[in-house]
Amino acid sequence: MDFAQNLSNAIILACIYILMAAGLTMVYGVLKVLHIAHASVYTIGAFAGVVIYTWVGNFWISILIAMVISGVIGVLIYRFSYFYLLDAPRTVPLIASIGLFVMVTDLLQKPFLMGPYQRAFPVKGAGLPRIETPWFSMTSKQVLILLVTIMLITLVYLLLTKTRTGLSWQAASLDREMAAAVGINLNRVIALNFFIGSALAGAAGVLVGIYNNSVFATMGDLPSYKAFIIIVLGGMGSLPGVILASLLLAIVENFLVASIGYVLPRDSIAFLVLIFMLMFRPHGLLGRE
Amino acid sequence: MYKKFLGSLIALVILSMVVVACAPSTTATPEMTQPPVAETVAPQQTEAPTAPTTEQPTEASQATQEPIKIGFFSPTTDFAAADGTSALQSAQLAVKILNEKGGILGRQIELVFYDDAAKPDQASAIARKLIEQDKVVAAVSGSYSGATRAAAPIFQEAGIPMLSAYAIHPEITKTGNMIFRIGTLADVEGRVGAELIGKVLNLKKVAILTVDNDFGISLTDGFKKRAADLGLEIVLEEKYPLGETEFRPIISKIKSSGAEVVYATGYYNEAANLVSQAKDEGLNIPIIGQEGYDSPKFIELAGDAAEGVIITTDLNRDSDNPMTKTFLEQYKATYGEDADMVGASAFDAVMVLAYAIQTAGSTDANAIVQALANLKDFKDVATGPFLQYTADRELIRPVSSQIVKDGAFHLYHEFDDINLITP
Repeated sequence: MDFAQNLSNAIILACIYILMAAGLTMVYGVLKVLHIAHASVYTIGAFAGVVIYTWVGNFWISILIAMVISGVIGVLIYRFSYFYLLDAPRTVPLIASIGLFVMVTDLLQKPFLMGPYQRAFPVKGAGLPRIETPWFSMTSKQVLILLVTIMLITLVYLLLTKTRTGLSWQAASLDREMAAAVGINLNRVIALNFFIGSALAGAAGVLVGIYNNSVFATMGDLPSYKAFIIIVLGGMGSLPGVILASLLLAIVENFLVASIGYVLPRDSIAFLVLIFMLMFRPHGLLGRE
Repeated sequence: MYKKFLGSLIALVILSMVVVACAPSTTATPEMTQPPVAETVAPQQTEAPTAPTTEQPTEASQATQEPIKIGFFSPTTDFAAADGTSALQSAQLAVKILNEKGGILGRQIELVFYDDAAKPDQASAIARKLIEQDKVVAAVSGSYSGATRAAAPIFQEAGIPMLSAYAIHPEITKTGNMIFRIGTLADVEGRVGAELIGKVLNLKKVAILTVDNDFGISLTDGFKKRAADLGLEIVLEEKYPLGETEFRPIISKIKSSGAEVVYATGYYNEAANLVSQAKDEGLNIPIIGQEGYDSPKFIELAGDAAEGVIITTDLNRDSDNPMTKTFLEQYKATYGEDADMVGASAFDAVMVLAYAIQTAGSTDANAIVQALANLKDFKDVATGPFLQYTADRELIRPVSSQIVKDGAFHLYHEFDDINLITP
C-alpha cells in the first residue's frame, strides 16, 4: 500500500520535474547556454494561467494561452539578450540570464503585477476522475498532471524525431556553424526551439500552480536550480536523459523522506546525487562523452 | 569538451550562489542612497487643531510642523514579502487612526519605513540609519526573528526603545532593557498547543511536524514541555524544511503511526499544502496549527481542506473589543484584503508605543520604557487585552485558539490561565 502510493506520488513529482527541465535541456542542446531565466518563464506561465483561468474558468484554454504567452516571452528573451551574446564566452549569457531572472522575479513582486501574496489556482482536476485502486489512489489533479505531461512530451518527442524542424534542431545541436553552412536557417531554428521550450516551462508553471494551489512571484526559485541538476544528471541536451533523471530524483526524494524523514532538506538530496554523478559519470546518465 | 563543460558547471555553481546571495542586495542598494523618506505617512494638516494663525503660533501648530518619528522596518520584497507587506500596511493604518484622533502629545506621528527583505545585514544597516539619519524616537520591527535580532542590539546601544511585533525568538528581548515584544513567545504558544490537545480535545497520541527554523523549533520545544506534563504520547516527530510543498510521503508515515492528532508548525503556504494533501491522502485526524497559519490566504489556498483546522494565535476575529473590530474593518476597507495576525501585531506595536509615549508625556527613551513597563490591562489594540509586561519585557496576554469554519477563522477556546500564559 505505502510503497505503491509513494511510487505514484513520486511519478507525479517526476512529471513536474520533466516539464521544468525539458525546455531547458532543449535550449542547452542548441545554444549551449545555461538559461536560468527559464525559471522566470515558468513563473510568468503560472501567473498567466491563473489570470486567464479566473477570467474564462476553463483549464484547457488557460494552459494553452499560458503556453503561448510563455513561448512568446521565451523568444523575446532570446531575441533581446542571448542573440547578441552568442559569440561571447559562455559565462556572459549565463550572467545575463541570472540578471534577467532576478529582475523578472523582483518585477513580478510589485503590487501591480503579482504582488507579494500567494494566489490560489483552484482547478480541481478539469473533470478528470480520481483513481482508486487497492494499492494506491491518485487525485484528479494528479491524473491531470500525468496526462498533460505525457501528451506534451510525446508531442515534443515526435517533433524532434519525425519532422524536418526536429532534424534541423538535432543538426544545430551537433554543430551550429556546420548546420548553418548546409543551409539550415539558424535563427528560425533557435527561435522555434525557445518557443517550444518556454511553452513547456509555462505548462510546468501552470501545473505546479494547480498542484500546490498557489502561484507567487518567487515560485521560480526552485526550478532555477533544480532543473539544472536534472539536465546535468540526464546529460546536457538529452531529452530522454531528462525523463530518466526526473524519475530517479523524484523516487529517491520521495522514498528517502518516507523512510527516514527529512534528514536533509529534500532539495539537498538532489545536490548530493549531482555531486556523485559529477564524480563518477560527469557526462550524465544519457549524455554524450 | 569535457573541460569546457566542467568549467561552465563550476561557473554555474558559483553564480547560483551569487544569485542567492545577491538577490536582496540588488534591491536594497538603491534604497541606501535614497533620501530617508522612502515611505512615510504624512502628517495630515487638516486634522490639526483649529485656528493656528501666524500671529499667535500656538503650541499645537508648532507641533504639527514637527511630527514624532517612529521607525519601522519589514520585508516587502523577497521570500517574506507577504508578511512584511501586511505588517507595513497595518502599521500605516495604526498611524492613520492615531493621527485622525489628533496624534500623540498634540503632535502627528510619522512612520519612517525601510524594507529589510528579512535579512539581518540589511536590518542592522536600517537600524543605524533610523537612529542616525532619521532620528526616530522609537522603532517597531515588523520583520522576522533573524532581522529583528540583528537590529535589537543597535537600538539598545543607542538607547532607543524598540518593539518586536511578531518575531518570536527568545533572544530578542534578552538584548536589553530597551527591547520589548508584542507577539506571544513561541514557548508559551507551544505550551498552549499542548494544552489544547490534552485538555480541550482530550487526545493522547500526537504526531509532531516542525518547520526547521527558529520559529518551528521553539514552538515544538514549548509544546513538548507541556505535553510531558499532560502525559501526551508523541508517536512521531519530523522536521521539514521551510517552503516544503510535498508532504505526501510524511503523511503516509503519520497514517501508519497511529497518531490521533497532528501538531504541525509552519506558515500558511506550507500549512495549506499540508492540510490539502492530508485530505487527498485520506488522513482524517485533526491538524493543530499555530499563528503561522493565521492568514486569510491559508483558507484561500487550502479551500475545503482548511475546514476544522484549529490554530493557536493572538488575533481573535470574533472578539468584541472595539479596537479589534476597527482594525479588521478598516484594514479590509483600506487595502481590499482581510487582515492577518502578522498585521494585527504590527498594528498593536504601533498602538502600544503611541500609548507609552502619550503616558510618558515625552519622547524621552527612559520615560517611554518606564511607561511600557507600567502598562496594565491595555485594551486599545487588535489582539488584546495586554495584561502587563514581565520583568523580561515579555507580554502577558491571553492566547486564543481559532477553528476554521465555513471559510473563516472563529473562536474555539480562549486560554487565560495565568500560569500557562506567563512566559
